[in-house]
Amino acid sequence: MARTSISIDHVARIEGHGNIRLAIEDGQVTTCAVEVVEPARLFESMVVGRPFEEIPYIASRICGICSSSHVVTDLRAIEAALGVTVTDRTAALRELLVYGSFLQNHATHLFVFSAPDFLGHRSVFPLADENPALFDRALGMKALGNELCTAVGGRSVHPITAVVGGFTHEIDASEYRRLADAMDVMADFAVEAVDLFDGFEVPAIETAGDMLAMVAPGRYPVCDSDTARFVRAGYDFDCADVEDEVEEYPVGHSAAFLARARRTGSPYLTAALARVNASWANLSQRARYAAAKAGLRPPELNPFMNNLAQAVELVDVLDRCAALCRRLAEPDGFAGDSRPVAAEVRAGEGVGFTEAPRGALFHRLALDGEGRVTAANILTPTAQNVANLEADLRVLAEKLVGEGRSEAAIRLEAEKLVRAYDPCLSCSVH
Amino acid sequence: MMGAMTDERGTARVVVVGLASCFGCQLQVTNMERHLLDVLGQVDLRYWQLTSSDPMPEEFDVAVVEGAVTTDEAAETLRAVRATASTVIAIGACAVTGGIPGMAAPGFDERADAVYGERAPEACGALRAPAPVSSVIAVDHEVRCCPIDPLDFVDTLQRVLRGSNKALPTATLCGECKRNERGCFFGRERLCLGLVTRAGCGARCPDLGRPCNGCAGLSPDANVASARRVAARSNVDPARLDEALGLFNTVDPALAPEG
Repeated sequence: MARTSISIDHVARIEGHGNIRLAIEDGQVTTCAVEVVEPARLFESMVVGRPFEEIPYIASRICGICSSSHVVTDLRAIEAALGVTVTDRTAALRELLVYGSFLQNHATHLFVFSAPDFLGHRSVFPLADENPALFDRALGMKALGNELCTAVGGRSVHPITAVVGGFTHEIDASEYRRLADAMDVMADFAVEAVDLFDGFEVPAIETAGDMLAMVAPGRYPVCDSDTARFVRAGYDFDCADVEDEVEEYPVGHSAAFLARARRTGSPYLTAALARVNASWANLSQRARYAAAKAGLRPPELNPFMNNLAQAVELVDVLDRCAALCRRLAEPDGFAGDSRPVAAEVRAGEGVGFTEAPRGALFHRLALDGEGRVTAANILTPTAQNVANLEADLRVLAEKLVGEGRSEAAIRLEAEKLVRAYDPCLSCSVH
Repeated sequence: MMGAMTDERGTARVVVVGLASCFGCQLQVTNMERHLLDVLGQVDLRYWQLTSSDPMPEEFDVAVVEGAVTTDEAAETLRAVRATASTVIAIGACAVTGGIPGMAAPGFDERADAVYGERAPEACGALRAPAPVSSVIAVDHEVRCCPIDPLDFVDTLQRVLRGSNKALPTATLCGECKRNERGCFFGRERLCLGLVTRAGCGARCPDLGRPCNGCAGLSPDANVASARRVAARSNVDPARLDEALGLFNTVDPALAPEG
């Protein structure tokens, strides 16, 4: 009997610690597991008893790269619980903050984590000599994301200024205009990035799972809608019902809970690819054209296309951020100012929902009459994705085994698939 | 402090090790894009799982450690790292003070049970209450705060590579904050941990309108009893000061209850 075992400990160039286990016997894939080997971090327990003002600050530490998303999600949960409505200006700044983390995340994932696989390197650094123009602009894109997060949030990781009800600090109009110009300058490179990733050959597989994304009529929302959509099954739900719609379940080989849709029992993918599938028509014109040129149109079911979807989102985000920054620079661009509105402390419960760079992120918080947390539930994108990733990995392995590909080739493609999901395993174990 | 030992070419061989963390401090190192190659070009970077597929080598000179120790396996990794490295640099609050993960230390086992239902899955490893790197091995250099300031990392790396007797500040944050001329939160009846937190960040948060949350850790010069009195005088509940200190200092022995 021919038996091949592929074990990859601590998959490199992803955030967090994970292993791949594959066993192939007589041409059949008998074992296929993505082990999430993170120590328990227990955030849901740590926040219990703490005053609500501290919660976004604590939950931010779930993830360095999407810290802005965790903060904005918690702020939305707290404001839902306390019945606080923020100004349009504050909402715009939060959108900018979330987009800043999109730029950081997508640039890091695409160029530092993913591209080296396709360019035959073990890291991004050889690119500095081989293609300095690409290297410089790739890092320049990432730097622009950091700059945006720093301008709006006070620093590139773990924002300072975003608090319940508003912001403690804002940059001035000239700085917004300078940022808008910087976005415009970077836009051509984003379009080139779409072409670059379009040129990388990936195995033709289709996920059998569903896709989940935030939706809003006529828009491409990231942090101001309460409606989530299972794109393939074709139904929407309100984020306040997330536990009724999504089942989290434990498996021994993963420190993260896995997830599936309750109505269909299907695992699912939540990521840039799900957003593009859900809201393709609402991408910015330039992003839509770039996507169309690369052949990325709904329904796109190949999980490897998440790389391309992230590149398309870079184009979209730059267009949106430039427009937002120019409007913020106008004295009457948005109604209200961003100073925190007062919150009256009361008992309540709320669910915050945002599209983090890696997909849908939900935080439920329950507060007592003194504003202290009595219960918390956090559902991160990667925790939702692991079950679907495992299923796709099996599809991929079976295809490659069927084609008689070498063990080395299967190993590399398996790692590429894991990276295409852009997992944050440290996030998934929160 | 002597410079780090090096390979035959005189270039320090560096590994980056991540324990329980958000990866934010490793990201901060990459977040100095314009200087990244200049900084990394000075060293022989042998292992960094976040950025490269190269496996952990057997020999190296400098180990950069991010994250808190939360498993027996992590403690074992640290002891192995210490046996090889001539210099260990702990980066970020998790590694230096136990940081936010340290908040889970009191009643740790019960917390794990509460989150996972019964017992935590095997993939978590042999869990233990979160603790800083220095609770397991000797640490030569610390880069504080949550997240680290990338330039503090560069400064520390330069001192490791070239040798330096520069002493880091032990004073509290208040002095740095006063030079920003932003006024004092206590004057507005709001809690701020700058009174007892170690200086060095330039009071970045208070400068942006947000009180200090203490991410640099308790200053050796801090007078916590006096800070409680300041709070009480300013209509801030002193118990809140102690509670807030738990964000980054839960496992600091200096704050252990007396007796």
